[in-house]
Amino acid sequence: MKKPILFLFLFIAGQHLMAQVSVEGYVTDQNGQPIVGANVYLQDTYDGASTDTTGYFSFETTEEGDWVLVATFIGYRSEELPIILGDGSSKINISLKEELNKLEAVVISAGSFSAGEETKREVLKPLDIVTTAGSSADIAGALNTLPGTQTVGEEGRLFVRGGSGAETKTYIDGMQVLNAYNSAIPNTPSRGRFSPFMFKGTSFSTGGYSAEYGQALSSALILNTKDMPVQERVDFSIMSVGVDAAATKIWDKSSFSGKIQYTNVTPYFNLIKQSLELEKSPVAIDGNFAFRHKVREHGMLKFYGNFNKSSVSSLLADIDSPEVKTKYQLDNHYYYLNSSYRDVLNDKWSLKSGFAFTYSKDIIGVDQGNIAEKQNGMHAKTVLSYDVLTQLAINFGGEVFHRRYQRFLPFTADNQLTEAGFDEQLIAGFVEADLYTSNRFVTRAGTRWEYNTLSQKAAIAPRLSMGYKTGDNSQISLAYGQFQQTAEDRFVRVANNLESEKADHYILNYQWLSDKQTFRVEAYYKDYYDLVKFNEDTPDDPTAYFNDGYGHAQGIDVFWRDNKTFRNVDYWVSYSYLDTKRNYRNFPSEAMPTFASNHNFSFVYKHFITDIKSQIGWTYSFASGRPYHNPNEPGFNAGKTRSYHDLSMNISYLWKSNVILHAFVTNVLGVKNVFGYEYGTQRNEAGRFDRRAIEPMAPRFIFLGVFITLSKNKSLNGLPNL
Amino acid sequence: MKKIVLSLTTVALIFTASANDKYEKAMLKNISLVYEANTVDAYQQAINNLTRIGNAEKNKWEPYYYITYSYIIMSFMEQDPGKKDSYIDLAQAALDKGLAIAPDESELVTLQGFTHTARLNVDPMNRGQRYSGMATKVLRQAIKLNPENPRALLLMGQMMYGTAQFMGGSTTEACAMIEKSLDKFETFKSSHALAPQWGKGQATDALKQCGN
Repeated sequence: MKKPILFLFLFIAGQHLMAQVSVEGYVTDQNGQPIVGANVYLQDTYDGASTDTTGYFSFETTEEGDWVLVATFIGYRSEELPIILGDGSSKINISLKEELNKLEAVVISAGSFSAGEETKREVLKPLDIVTTAGSSADIAGALNTLPGTQTVGEEGRLFVRGGSGAETKTYIDGMQVLNAYNSAIPNTPSRGRFSPFMFKGTSFSTGGYSAEYGQALSSALILNTKDMPVQERVDFSIMSVGVDAAATKIWDKSSFSGKIQYTNVTPYFNLIKQSLELEKSPVAIDGNFAFRHKVREHGMLKFYGNFNKSSVSSLLADIDSPEVKTKYQLDNHYYYLNSSYRDVLNDKWSLKSGFAFTYSKDIIGVDQGNIAEKQNGMHAKTVLSYDVLTQLAINFGGEVFHRRYQRFLPFTADNQLTEAGFDEQLIAGFVEADLYTSNRFVTRAGTRWEYNTLSQKAAIAPRLSMGYKTGDNSQISLAYGQFQQTAEDRFVRVANNLESEKADHYILNYQWLSDKQTFRVEAYYKDYYDLVKFNEDTPDDPTAYFNDGYGHAQGIDVFWRDNKTFRNVDYWVSYSYLDTKRNYRNFPSEAMPTFASNHNFSFVYKHFITDIKSQIGWTYSFASGRPYHNPNEPGFNAGKTRSYHDLSMNISYLWKSNVILHAFVTNVLGVKNVFGYEYGTQRNEAGRFDRRAIEPMAPRFIFLGVFITLSKNKSLNGLPNL
Repeated sequence: MKKIVLSLTTVALIFTASANDKYEKAMLKNISLVYEANTVDAYQQAINNLTRIGNAEKNKWEPYYYITYSYIIMSFMEQDPGKKDSYIDLAQAALDKGLAIAPDESELVTLQGFTHTARLNVDPMNRGQRYSGMATKVLRQAIKLNPENPRALLLMGQMMYGTAQFMGGSTTEACAMIEKSLDKFETFKSSHALAPQWGKGQATDALKQCGN
């Protein structure tokens, strides 16, 4: 009888294996639409099925009793349902909820242009910055081809939407940078101190930015440095204006990159005549280092340092008596140290913390002696992010700024050294929440609190932005915010207790973004108040300074970029209309400031020609005339320069896989541009004031460079380091 | 009684063997689904099945291997760069699960190189430098783990070929690498039934590009 028992056993087992029940149903989204391709299965078994085009699924299982039925689909939150498997078939319908997908979801685009390597939403990439003709591989130079900026050729800084260059602040890894531009003699353009390729992401905000950033009235340039480099390399460059060498070393968890650059424009200026008489052409030595260290899984510790020593000396003829020449020598010493740490603490919390230090000293040598202007700044900041839900995130943090500004004047009547300066401390805190009501609608609301020890004033600045996705590729956003900034050093050093200058921004934006094409149009209104006004006749009298200036700026910015229509061609067009007036500083009445122009236009064209392994770029920039004050005519700032035109060109040629030749020429057509006029202080025989045009030092600037890269992988080249 | 015990043991053994059989059978079926797939939907179907197997098995890396592979191919089939990236994100997520189980599996490390290559292909101009470096690094590691792995050699050769072309360098070295991979495809013996088989066709095509 033994055999039958075994037989029976096997029979039962076999029966058991074959006892199948079916599970079927439909999977739909929250609107009842079928979801195709969803995975529906019994947890931890092979049993399951994918939904068909009607959302229907059906599968057989031999399992019995209590199980969990799981339904998953990309972009939707997984659903787990208890199910009791018994006789016959189980029918079950499942509804999946859309998951918040930050990649697909609406983003806040009002007022912001971002550039980065990773995400496709970026308007400009680091490579775009260096390959933009006319940018001279300068971040500000490239950003000046975006709408919202005004061409101010004698400054080289970013002038945004009727704001002055001082109203744009630069942040590296969230930390403020003081004197982000090289020191330059008056009416010659300065360059940004930082190479575009240090950064993996650049966010250029033309207004309405997050409560995390303060102390900028018009614009924030937010730069995020690269993380760990992937390959060791050594780079050399020989350029018409100098030489540089750089190296990157990588260890298991750390990396170090260093670069040293020597700039000497003497040979170039000897060759090509400049309108400005130079006693000594610009010479500079510049060093950079970056250290990265990975901590645990997500932590990243970064140190970045920069030092710069530069010197230039010019002789400036007096307008009234041209035979009298005044010396103006400028020596600058600059140190910047930025350390930051960021980490993901757990599922919900992440942390960003940093410390930055800036030291800058300008020694201005004039015939009477040396004027020194010194600035020390420290900035410490910590930001915590808390993901309350997938749809709701809160950022909050605090920061402290300390700044010491000193100015030394050696030539008083009794030859005593006089010093003017101040110590400013700012304590600030902010909180901001991002709420995604759906993938289509996002609201960011925040507020910033700031206390200034100089003015002894606390201020609360609310910020609000919203975005609504109107289609797969389009969205509208709006932004509002109050912004404030300590008055310029030259005023605060006289009147220490001046209040911050303030501006309110209102922005409405429409953006259409598809694969390789971008269109955006933005309208804005800016209301300026508490601007500094002073009496021109008594500039040293602290009681003659008031915060009763005001002004406004309004306009429309349009941008179109197309990387698709023409093969190997990338172009963009920017147009900005600006209407602005202010009554501030020494203005007797409301007038347009001299740095503003009503119309700005840029056309940037880049063409990669595979056959000759070269990229050629053209940029045409136009700006309508800028106001200047003509004391010979009635009215204030009533004169207007002729309009500005510049056609620049560049070419990068890949000679070998690791050698690049790069050349650029600005103002190819040699148009004579005038930025404004300076007037003498005394009337000539005809009873009029003589004037001198503020113009570029030479009609064109020509640059040539060879960039060589050595690495284990020969494919690396200097493209990203130009 | 002894016999019954013995028989029961046999039954138990048969059960265990059948569990393994079940895995292998299910995998083989789905692997051929992956190789035969030519639409996004077909890949998604295979991915769904493989996901179930992966979830149930816990310590098998093969399901994740084929999920990753499928998502990478889906990213190549997709036109929109945003969607390409989301497929690659899913590929990476699956690969991470596989690598957690078998961190030193040359085939998985090779797929990491493939994932980086896919990432690069979305935007070669801007991502070229970074991702070619990352891909080269892991592919080198994959070759070190198994110098016979023809897929690692093929991807390395193709990466070298791509960069040489992009940068205008010589393709000789790249082509030698591709040729070597083709040789290995001829001699490569899979360690087990579920091991990857793909790549020989691509290697032949790549070598044609080289003009051989």
